[in-house]
Amino acid sequence: MQLVLVREFLAQFQGNEFTISLIFFSWLILGGLGAWLALLAIRRRPASPVLLARLSLLLAALAAIEVLAIRTLRDIIFLHGADVGFYPTMAAIFLLAAPYGLLNGFLVPYSLYVLRSQEPDYAGARIYLLDNTGNIIGGALFSFVLVLWLTPLQSVFAANLPLLAAATLLVSCRQQLRPVFLLSLAGAVITLLAGLLLERQSLTPFEGRLIHYEESRYGRITVHQDRELLTIFVDGAPIFSNQNVSLDEETIHFPLSQIDDPRDVLLVGVEGGMLREVAKYRPDRVDLLEIDRKLTEVQLRYQLLQPLPGLNLIHRDGRAFLAATDRRYDAIIINLPEPETFQINRFFTGEFFRLAGRHLRPGGILAFSVAGFDNYLSDPARLKISSLYNTARLHFPHVLSLPGNRVFFLCRDRPLNPDIAALLNSKKIHTIYISSFFSGNITPERLSYLQENLLPDTPVNLDTSPFLLRIMFQQWFARFATSPLPFTVAGCLLLLFYLCRCRREELVLFSTGFAIMGSETLVIFVYQILFGYVYEQIGLLVTVFLAGLLPGAWLGERLRQGRNCRKSLVLCDGLIILALITFLLALLTAHQQLTPGFFLLFGFALSLLCGCQFPLALALGGGDNPAAARTFSADLIGAACGTLITSLLFIPFLGIVWATAGLLLVKLCGIAALAGGAGKVKSKK
Amino acid sequence: MKPIDRRTFLCLSAALLARAGAAQAGLWPFQGDRHEASGQEDIRGAIFKNDAPKTLWKWHKEGFSYQKLADSKVMCNICPNRCLLAPGDRSLCRSKVNMDGTLYSLAYGNPCAVHLDPVEKKPLFHFKPRTTAFSIAATGCNFRCLNCQNWEISQVKPHEVRHQEMFPAEVVRQAKAAEAASIAYTYSEATTYFEYMLDTARLARDAGLNNLWISNGFINKEPLLELCKVINAANVNLKSFDDAIYRKLNGGRLQPVLNTFRTMHEQGVHFEMTTLVVPGYVDNPEMIKAMCGWIVANLGPDHPLHFLRFFPNYKLTRLPPTPASTLDSFRKLAMAEGIRYVYLGNLPDHPGSNTYCHQCGKLLIERRGYQMPVNHLEAGRCSFCGTTIPGVWH
Repeated sequence: MQLVLVREFLAQFQGNEFTISLIFFSWLILGGLGAWLALLAIRRRPASPVLLARLSLLLAALAAIEVLAIRTLRDIIFLHGADVGFYPTMAAIFLLAAPYGLLNGFLVPYSLYVLRSQEPDYAGARIYLLDNTGNIIGGALFSFVLVLWLTPLQSVFAANLPLLAAATLLVSCRQQLRPVFLLSLAGAVITLLAGLLLERQSLTPFEGRLIHYEESRYGRITVHQDRELLTIFVDGAPIFSNQNVSLDEETIHFPLSQIDDPRDVLLVGVEGGMLREVAKYRPDRVDLLEIDRKLTEVQLRYQLLQPLPGLNLIHRDGRAFLAATDRRYDAIIINLPEPETFQINRFFTGEFFRLAGRHLRPGGILAFSVAGFDNYLSDPARLKISSLYNTARLHFPHVLSLPGNRVFFLCRDRPLNPDIAALLNSKKIHTIYISSFFSGNITPERLSYLQENLLPDTPVNLDTSPFLLRIMFQQWFARFATSPLPFTVAGCLLLLFYLCRCRREELVLFSTGFAIMGSETLVIFVYQILFGYVYEQIGLLVTVFLAGLLPGAWLGERLRQGRNCRKSLVLCDGLIILALITFLLALLTAHQQLTPGFFLLFGFALSLLCGCQFPLALALGGGDNPAAARTFSADLIGAACGTLITSLLFIPFLGIVWATAGLLLVKLCGIAALAGGAGKVKSKK
Repeated sequence: MKPIDRRTFLCLSAALLARAGAAQAGLWPFQGDRHEASGQEDIRGAIFKNDAPKTLWKWHKEGFSYQKLADSKVMCNICPNRCLLAPGDRSLCRSKVNMDGTLYSLAYGNPCAVHLDPVEKKPLFHFKPRTTAFSIAATGCNFRCLNCQNWEISQVKPHEVRHQEMFPAEVVRQAKAAEAASIAYTYSEATTYFEYMLDTARLARDAGLNNLWISNGFINKEPLLELCKVINAANVNLKSFDDAIYRKLNGGRLQPVLNTFRTMHEQGVHFEMTTLVVPGYVDNPEMIKAMCGWIVANLGPDHPLHFLRFFPNYKLTRLPPTPASTLDSFRKLAMAEGIRYVYLGNLPDHPGSNTYCHQCGKLLIERRGYQMPVNHLEAGRCSFCGTTIPGVWH
């Protein structure tokens, strides 16, 4: 359900790294709050299996309601078609996720209390183990099966059937099924069924018609038709249309006009109109890279992509493809969204430019573009463009940046001519937009304005230190005239308050949760850089980060039965620190030689140690119900902070090496707290 | 909870299923037809309390039109927002401040954007074609358009941008040096740097240059009358013909803009109108028909009207572009209503950017972007039938 909600939020809000982190942050924090609420609940009223069953039914129904609410309320609360700024996005995500997230967080420890009401010695770690088993199965099922075959509300329906069955079983084992329960059950089933019926309705746009909808592994693809105009949206943002002449011409002719006779062209993420422009050069071979096969199929189906002689469709991650092939091109043209995520940023780094340069023939050209400016180059845009220019200049002796609503970068080993219209004239290539508008839009004065405003000292954008992401965050905040400062200050104060109230063992679990989720974010980031974005492999990484929890919890439970829980906890902490040091050393010394197996092993080891710590910390905390709630909360709140801080602070501002060091530091603080006596000590054993 | 019987259970279940079925049949309760139910009703801005600098900087001038009120308060009279500012406050447009009971503009002699553009880019199609306009902008805007192309200068304060120092005399000198026919006050909202614009325009007029006002038209009558004395042409946005959309998408009001058109028409200023056709908001044919009807009835048939194609921009990035055929149909609709010159913008190579004689219907000017491969206009008249074509041609 978490994965379904993540996709829903990403489809409704700006899909940048901030939003992604906020979703995970909210989910985990709500889980922590829910666990705490469970503790309050049993203080008022003993845990009851019937209530657990009823709440489980409510949870199942909420799943469908939540998805529909996200889709519907987005366009009621916020203006249809408009982006939403940081604070409204945060509030919307938190509030919309709250009902489900709180209840979900509530039910895990509440289940334990129910079990303990029947069997007082029931081990808290077993619930943790069972919860994680469900998480692993659910995550793997969704990532590898459901997302491929079912729509979100179908997935919700399928995923919640076992929950409904379990709730029914729970009640029927204890008493005869009463009408109230049956009515609740029927209500939950009907709500889930209603979700299936409303799937398409809830996606219909205000303007035009929804003529196609499907979910791919990478996002939601919809096709809107407004009169003759077809627009493909991915996750709610328009990306391709059949009437985009100016962008089509600029993307293709700015680079290809520079080359005498382009024979082999590589295109990354282009639309049909661009292919039409490429065809004017009659190349022998055009390789079109698009990671999402379904997106290409939709483009072909609606004739937004027309077959071309020599066209090869390749469905692979661009970087993985270039790293694997020996083929060389006359032009490599990149047409991707803004580098707002770790995934996209990989195509705007020095390492990528070097890789692309190695696949160019002498005189070949690399071209890419980012959102530009109309009449004034603002400071964030200036930094972004300067960074890209400086980065490209490291690998190409000649870089030309052309101003406009999009700023185009042409990179080559020989001089470039900015007079594109004249070049096209000499080649007798007819264009609609460039031949008519170029002279008024890209004037010598505007060219020199851009050149004069480039800052030579701006840091370059690297895989290992994604400077551009920082700038993209800045631009996002500038667009909405807000600052992340209030959020940072409020977050720090709340965190400080929470940490001051934590017991030692909770501090350890907090730091472990932080380190694990931070490491997962970091590992996915580094993995994409080294091996490309391969859906199955990323899914496997996420699964591995959960999979270790199971044997870990089992091992921890065994260790708990020994005498010295504290010693075992410190030992686990020490091993986590050792794992992080190993990771850090590997990054420092041989990160290009690392294999996928290394990352899988690292993820498994970390999650195993984390899983091992939970029963130990729980036992140290007393093992009673309040301890269980607090332990669950500490783990989840630590994980929430780890996700947010690693994604938004550590990686963009410190780079991957120092981000790892940051995680190491957090973990060292955790072990110091345990060893040094910081935090409260549980008085009762 | 009271137990229910089997019959009630079945009835309730049936009712729930029926509701779900009805929704599937098109009665989805939250699916509004258009924009009415979506988002904030009004995004108009507000003044910035206690936001004025401690001291004035070099690039300032006392406000052209304002009232001094009790307690050292002032009211700016340039635009219909009529910002009421206590000492230390900053206006909604971000350019004006109250310093000890005097209103100052902080956008004077400090343009942040200076470019040389074809006049057709403004767009002005009936004003000295194929000439260039020395285009300047200082920061500020009295609207909050969600699709602003120039938000990085329109939605910021003067000190938040890099600027050049270019007082009015220098603007005129540079415009002459660039061999521009005109000076355009453009990009952000020129009304918010009214004092700078007016002083520059006066000097420019004396130096034989034309003055072009590119604006949202949200200005009060008194300053507008003063401006009309010095400007030669204007392109004013008519963002929609619905006050609710003005408030929701632009943070402005419709009526003052309509008043501006009337005043300019009465003053005999050449002006052209621009409407950006935003899908889902400004693409209702009934509204466009009413708008064109109002134009013909109040301003006559001769002021050119430009329909521009929308592309996702600034905060409005989750909408598709405007279909070309929508623009085409609006052009036909506007011409059927009686407007003689209707153009389509952001649509390369479309006949809708050509000028056809309203009398004989022949092609007078063929436009290919900023080029004019065909020009059958002679001394402002159709070379086929001799009809005078409205505009300033030489």
